[in-house]
Amino acid sequence: MPERNKQFGLYGAQGIKGHQAVARQLDALAGYIATPVTARRGLLARLHYLTRSDHARARAHAAGLTVTDRTLRAWLAGKRSPSKANLERVERAYRTVRRENVARYLLARLNRQGHGTRVEIHPLNQSQVDRPRQRVVEFRTLNIRHWDRIVQAWVADDERGMDDAWVDQIVDLGSQWGQYEYVTNVGFAA
Amino acid sequence: MTDFEAIDALLAGARQEVPLPPVEERRALREGLNLSRTQVAQALSVSPSTVGGWESGRDPSGEVRAKYAYFLDGARTRLAAITGEEAAATETDAADATDGPEEADTVQPPGQDQDGQDDMEALALPQPCVLCGQPAAHQVAGFPQHLDPAACGTADSGRMTEPAETAETVAPQRPRHRPAQPGQEGAAGREDAARREGTAGRKSAVGRDGAAGRKGSVDRDGAAGRKGSVDRDGAAGRKSAAGGGLKVVPVGRRVREADTPDPVARAVADALAEHSGDVEAATAALVKRAIPDAMALLDASRKGGRYDVVAHPWLPEILRKQTARGADQIWEARPKWTRPELPAGRHEVTALDINGAYLSALKTHLPLGQLEHSTGDHHDRRRAGVHLITPPAWDHGAVLPNPIGNRDEPGPLWVTEPTLRLLLRLSGPKYGLCDPPVIHESWTSGATESLLEKFRTALKDARDRAIAEDDEVTLEYVKAMYSKFVSTMGESNYNRELYRTDWMHLIRSQAFTNLWWKAHRAYDQGLLVVRVMGTDELHVTGDWRAVFPEGRGVAEVKLKDTYAVGGEPDHPDGG
Repeated sequence: MPERNKQFGLYGAQGIKGHQAVARQLDALAGYIATPVTARRGLLARLHYLTRSDHARARAHAAGLTVTDRTLRAWLAGKRSPSKANLERVERAYRTVRRENVARYLLARLNRQGHGTRVEIHPLNQSQVDRPRQRVVEFRTLNIRHWDRIVQAWVADDERGMDDAWVDQIVDLGSQWGQYEYVTNVGFAA
Repeated sequence: MTDFEAIDALLAGARQEVPLPPVEERRALREGLNLSRTQVAQALSVSPSTVGGWESGRDPSGEVRAKYAYFLDGARTRLAAITGEEAAATETDAADATDGPEEADTVQPPGQDQDGQDDMEALALPQPCVLCGQPAAHQVAGFPQHLDPAACGTADSGRMTEPAETAETVAPQRPRHRPAQPGQEGAAGREDAARREGTAGRKSAVGRDGAAGRKGSVDRDGAAGRKGSVDRDGAAGRKSAAGGGLKVVPVGRRVREADTPDPVARAVADALAEHSGDVEAATAALVKRAIPDAMALLDASRKGGRYDVVAHPWLPEILRKQTARGADQIWEARPKWTRPELPAGRHEVTALDINGAYLSALKTHLPLGQLEHSTGDHHDRRRAGVHLITPPAWDHGAVLPNPIGNRDEPGPLWVTEPTLRLLLRLSGPKYGLCDPPVIHESWTSGATESLLEKFRTALKDARDRAIAEDDEVTLEYVKAMYSKFVSTMGESNYNRELYRTDWMHLIRSQAFTNLWWKAHRAYDQGLLVVRVMGTDELHVTGDWRAVFPEGRGVAEVKLKDTYAVGGEPDHPDGG
């Protein structure tokens, strides 16, 4: 790392890792069901999504929703309701399947047939840092043409892979890229 | 004795400053010839920014001033020649002014248009001629030179033409001596051409090259260069005269027609062509693509701008929707006010409509960067954003709407910059209508009012043109562009390229504030304000035409409706 980010926040800087901000934005673009899974409406919507077809069931099973069909039917009919652990499993399976389903289209829109997407990188927040320790970190934009690895890692929920893929892209910012390891926000449209 | 000689030499050397055309004309002259600053700067051995400085108010001095004056002079002569040519729309012939630098080498027969030279004056002390360097006793337009070419060292270069007057008077006359036919390229035609060149473009030769090569170049120009240029100029000159000039840009090794600078007109023309003139279908298609077109126009209008449009900033929680379909915490101060009571009697109420309210509201102080938090009762005029304020009490609800709209809930609320500025202004010494608001916290950033100014102007111009030409398609298209731009610039799935919830709130509030000021103006001018509603609706009684101009422009108001209140005309027992 070219910048001193080992003890990030030691002097009061605030921000999140760049790849987390990217994942957040990709999640926002994927458009999940807004109602939380704890509400009946949200649970039903997720279960319907996961049991819409045999293929969807298989994907849900692969994504960790390993309950029997009988249980699923009981949940859908409202005869039983899932335990807290199973609710979490439903939510995780839903997000995974949704990401997998969306990824193809999202990737095509982000790559835009090689044109790429303009990404805004908003630098970390230094408002709580002592004045002498504050550094000039500018707002930067970058056109990213190859989103494949980023989207792949996002679908697989692979933090490490996502970080690597993202850093591979932002090194194009130049020698100061390390200043953008932590950001307040990464914005792009798809 | 030697001292006096030195002084004499000094006096002889001290030339008076050459007059230059006014600043605004200099650039027009250069651009009229499609010359870049760099080209001119190279020719004058200065930097392009220096030329830019000369075109925006500075004046060169010394030798370079003479050179620059000489360039401008030549440019003016040539431009006048070109325009005169187009006006006359006659055949151009050989050795034309558009021929390039060679024509400058042609000869001016001596003393043929000495009348009409009012810039000519005799010099008290001989100065070096700008053509041959020998002492000359006269100067024309500030250039010392020999009036008699025989006396000039080169013997074949004439006087300078004066800058403006000659050009204007001579150029339109040019068709008169233009008998030369393409086939007839004899000595007569050449001489005629040479004579004309003497008035039109000769000056570019002065000082550039001496006497030596000139004779030869005359022959070359006359005999060789002329033949080729006849047909070319004949065709090109006519074409430019007919079409009012075709703008071209260099592309690779060719030139191409320059892009139409008006994307709105082009989009409308394309849509109409695509739907073969079906107005309704074209309008529907245009409205459908209004959002991406508006974004493209925004991008185009920010080219070369000082600030970038930041499309996806980090936004504080207050600007985020609390639920998927809910609202955020910003109060936009939308007016919804009806006068509680009217004076007794019958009233003719006029409902007025403010034209293009959101279009005008694009001019507002918009925060540029990321919003930063601050606390305390302090307002920085150079920043804009949203503020948590406790609004002041409003005691004029009987005649004027509350500037923060009709809010039922008491206590502090988040308002936007335009509302806060309205409140601050109203609480100031000039109006004194309320107490100043108390600011508790703010999320602000450095602001500019001109961020969307080019965008707004482009749309406004297109709208004005559409109204003037009664072009409903463009009107609808422009309306869809600005209204959808404003309504989708927040967290909308219809426009994912811009996530500026803060701007959306600010622009809307600005529209409401503009409406409030309209209401205040009506009140101030003695009208009775009856209702103020939404973005653009204002109901008044009285002679509103004396206050607001009627029309469809953004500075005018549109009559929507008139109705009567009270007084019961059928049963006149009430009054």
